[in-house]
Amino acid sequence: MEPSALIYFLVIPAAVSLINLLLPVRAAKALTVIALLYLLVRSIHSLSHLPLLSECGLWGADRLAAFVLLFVHILSLVILVFSLKGVRSEIQRAFFVLYPLTVAFCNGVLLSQHTIAFIIFWGLSGLSLYFFALMGQGDSYSQTAKKTFIIIGGSDVFLIFGFILLAARLPVKEWNLSALQMQSGDPLYYLAFFSLLIAVLAKAGGFPLHSWVPDFSKTSPIESTAFLPSSLDKLLGIFLLARMMTAFFAVELIVKMIIISIGAITVVGAVMMAIMQPNARRLLGYSTVSQVGYMLMGVGSGNPIAFAGGLFHMVNHTLYKSNLFLSLGSVEKQTGSSEFRDLGGIAKGMPLTFLMALIGSLAISGIPPFSGFYSKWMIYQGLLEQTKTLPAGYQIWMLICLLLAIFGSALTLACFVKFLHAVFLGRNPGREKIHEAPANQWLATGIFALFCIVFGLFAAALPLKRLIIPVLAELGIAADLSLIGYYDPLLLTGLFAIVFLIGWVVYRATRVVRYDEIYLGGMAAETRFRVSGVDFYREIRQMPLLQTIYTAAEKKYCDIYELGSKGTFFFSGILQKLHPGLLQWYLFYILLGLLLLLLITINIGG
Amino acid sequence: MSLLTLFYLLIFPGLLFTAVLGLSVGWVDRKLSARFQFRVGPPFFQNFYDFIKLLGKETLIVRDSVQSLFIAAPLIAFAALVCISALIGVALFFGASFIGDLYVLMYLLMVYSVMVILGGSATGNVYSSIGAGREMKLLLADELAFILVCLVPIVKAGYEIRLSEILSAQQLGGAFIASPSGILAFLIALICIQAKMALPPFNIPEAETEIVEGPFMEYSGPPLAFWKLNHFMMYVFYPFLLILLFLGGFSAGGWGVLWFILKYLLIVVVMIIIKNTNPRVRIDTALHFFWNIAFPVSLVALILAVLGV
Repeated sequence: MEPSALIYFLVIPAAVSLINLLLPVRAAKALTVIALLYLLVRSIHSLSHLPLLSECGLWGADRLAAFVLLFVHILSLVILVFSLKGVRSEIQRAFFVLYPLTVAFCNGVLLSQHTIAFIIFWGLSGLSLYFFALMGQGDSYSQTAKKTFIIIGGSDVFLIFGFILLAARLPVKEWNLSALQMQSGDPLYYLAFFSLLIAVLAKAGGFPLHSWVPDFSKTSPIESTAFLPSSLDKLLGIFLLARMMTAFFAVELIVKMIIISIGAITVVGAVMMAIMQPNARRLLGYSTVSQVGYMLMGVGSGNPIAFAGGLFHMVNHTLYKSNLFLSLGSVEKQTGSSEFRDLGGIAKGMPLTFLMALIGSLAISGIPPFSGFYSKWMIYQGLLEQTKTLPAGYQIWMLICLLLAIFGSALTLACFVKFLHAVFLGRNPGREKIHEAPANQWLATGIFALFCIVFGLFAAALPLKRLIIPVLAELGIAADLSLIGYYDPLLLTGLFAIVFLIGWVVYRATRVVRYDEIYLGGMAAETRFRVSGVDFYREIRQMPLLQTIYTAAEKKYCDIYELGSKGTFFFSGILQKLHPGLLQWYLFYILLGLLLLLLITINIGG
Repeated sequence: MSLLTLFYLLIFPGLLFTAVLGLSVGWVDRKLSARFQFRVGPPFFQNFYDFIKLLGKETLIVRDSVQSLFIAAPLIAFAALVCISALIGVALFFGASFIGDLYVLMYLLMVYSVMVILGGSATGNVYSSIGAGREMKLLLADELAFILVCLVPIVKAGYEIRLSEILSAQQLGGAFIASPSGILAFLIALICIQAKMALPPFNIPEAETEIVEGPFMEYSGPPLAFWKLNHFMMYVFYPFLLILLFLGGFSAGGWGVLWFILKYLLIVVVMIIIKNTNPRVRIDTALHFFWNIAFPVSLVALILAVLGV
C-alpha cells in the first residue's frame, strides 16, 4: 500500500460527505456504504504494510493506529447498515452528511503525525458529536447538545494545554507526536499528564467527565449513540491514553495507581447508577461509562497483560455495546418507547433481536465464553501480576481496585438482567402485535453478536495473536504474553455443548408438553399483575448510605457540568448585578474610569 | 478432545459422580432436616425416585412465554454446573488445571443465577419475576463478600489464580484455614455458599410462603427435574470448592480419603444445621448483612492475608 494512500482515509469520507449534500437520500446511503466498504478493505490491507508514513510526514500509521483504524471502519460500516432503514426522515439528509464526515475526523486523529493536526481532528470529532446531539428529540435535546459540547470542548482546552506543555521545548515545525516525551522529573510532568488525562476521560466518558454520555444516549438518534459514545469516542480516548502510557510519558507508579483508581470508581459508580435507571437508553449510557473503567484499569496499569486486556476490552466493548444500543433501537422503532414501564414481552415478537441482545448482555456481563469475559480475565491477571511487585500498602490499594472491578461485573450482570427482563421478557403490557426488525437491523446486530462469540472463543488465535500482541511488540511492551491464569474457551464450549446435548436428549425423550395459561394460584392473570423491572433494585436504592448518594446524584450534585454551571452563573451573576441597565450606573462607571486615568496620569507625570 | 477429558466431564468428577453424590447428600439434608422437625424423613433413594418421577410428568408451558428460553434455561444451568464440577473436581482430585482457573470459576458460578432469572422471566408470571429480581439481588449481596473470600487464598498462594497452584501452596505450607485470615475467610465463605445455594436463611428467591416457588413456579416435568438436580449438584461442588481453597484439598495417601470425607461431611452438616435453625430473612436484610457485616469482615481477612497473617 502506498504511504500517500493514507490520505484517502480522510479525503474519501470527507468527499462523500460533501457529495451527499447534493444527492437524494437513497443515493447518499448507497455511496456511503460503498465508500466505507472500500475503506474497510484498505484498512485491512494496511495491516500488512506497516509502519506507514506519508512523504510530507503529516500522516502515518503504526500498529496501534492501524489496529484502531480497522475497528473504526468495521463499526462504521456495520452501524451504517443498521442506519439504512429507520433513521427519522427529517434528519436523514443531515445524518448521512455528518456520518462519513465523522469517520474522516476520526481517521484524522488516528493518522495525524503532527500535534496540531491531531488537536484539530480531535476537536472536529467533538464537533460532530455536538451536531449529532442536535438531531435528538425530546424536551431537553438542545440542553444535552450544549452540555455535550461544553464538556467535550472544554476538555479540548486541556488537550491543547497538555500538548503545549509536552512540546514547549521544541520548535513548532518539530511538533511531531513521535518527538513528544516527558520524564517524571520534569516540573511540568503532572500538569501535562493530567491535562491530557482530562481530555481522555471526557472523550471516552470516564468519571468525573462522564455526565454527557447518559444524557446524549437519552435524546440523540440511537444510531449516533452506537456510533459515537459507544464506539468511536472510546477508541479515540483509549488510543490517546495508550500513547500517553507508552510514548509521551514515563509513567510513575503513583500515576498508574491514580488511573487504576479512577477506573475502579468509574466501573462501580456508573453501574450503580445504571441499575436504577427507569429508561433503557440511560441504562445503556451509564453502562457505557462503567465499561470505560475497565479500559482505564487495563491500559493505565502499565502491566503488559492488563494493557493488552485493556485494548482488547476497548474493542470488545465497542462491539457489544453497539449491539445493545442497536437492539434497543430496533425495539424502540417498533414500540415507540424506551421506558421500561412501557416495554416487556417483546421477545416473542422479535426473537432475533432478543437473541442478539441476549448475546450482547452476556458478553458485557463477562459470562464465559463470550468476548467480554476474556478481556476482563486478562485485565484481572495483569492487575494481580502488578500487585505482586508492589509494597504492602499499594497491594491492599490495588486489591481493593481489583475487587471493585470484579464486583462491577456482577453489577453489570444485574443491570442487563433488568434490561432483558424489562424489555424482552416479563409480560407484554397489552400492546398490539410486535413484528421483527427489518433485515438490515438484525443483520447489523447479528454481525456484532457474532464478533462477541468469535472474539470470545478464538481470542488467543485471532484478535490477540494477530492484532494486539504485535501492537505491544512494536510499542516495546512485550514480545509475547505469558498469562498466569488458565482458560480454554473452546474446551469449555465443547464440553458445555456435550452436556447440554445430553440434557436436551433426556428432555426430548421424556417430555409430554401441554400449553396453559399463567398460574397465579387461582387468580386471573391480569396485565396489572406485571413486574416491569423499573423497581427491580429498589431495596438497594433504599439502603441508608446509598439512598443519600442516589438522591445527591439525582439532584446532580456529582455532575461536573452542573457544578461548573452553578459556579459560572454565580460569578456571572455578580457581574450581571453590576450591569443593571440604568444610565446613571454607566455614567458612574465612566466617571470612575476617568478618575482612575487622571490618578495614573498624575502619578506618571509626578 | 480426548477420552480422558470426556471421562472427567461425564463420569468422574463430572456428571455421573456429582449427580449421584449430590442426590445422595441431598438425602442427608432431607433426613437431617426431618430429624430437626421430629419427622422420620425419606428413604435413601428418594431423591433418585423424585428425579425419575419428574421426568415422567407433563411439561406445562405458558402459552405466551418465550418457550425456547424457558426450556433451555435449566439445561444451560445443568451444563454449566457439570463443567464447574469437573473443573473443581479435576483440580481437587488430580491437582491439574482443567477448563479454567479461579477467575473463570467465579464467573461460571454466575451462570446458574442468570439462568434461574432468565428462565423465570421467560414465563411472564409475576411471582417468577419477583423471584428473579430477588435472585439477582441475592447474587449481588453475596458476590461482594465471595470475591473477597476468593481473593484471600489467591493472595496466600502467592498471587496465583490456578486452582492447582492454590492447592500446591497448601500442600507445602499447610491449609490456609490455619491462619487468622484463612479462618475468617472460611467462615464468610460458608455463609456465602449458603446464599449461593439459596438455602435458608437465604431462600429468598423461592420464598414459598410469599411467592410460591418464585422463578421455578411455572416449571414442571423434566425441566423441573433438571432444576432439582442442579440444586443437589451444588451440594457437591460448593463444599469441594471450600475444601480446595481453605482446607488443604484432597490427598489419596494414608488417612487422606477418610479425612477428606470428614471435611466434606463437616461442611455439609454445618450448612444443614444453619438451614434448619434460621428463619428466612428479607432481601434487604440479606443485603445489609452481606454488604455491612460480611464485606468488612472479609476485607479484614484480605488485609491480614496481604500482611502475611
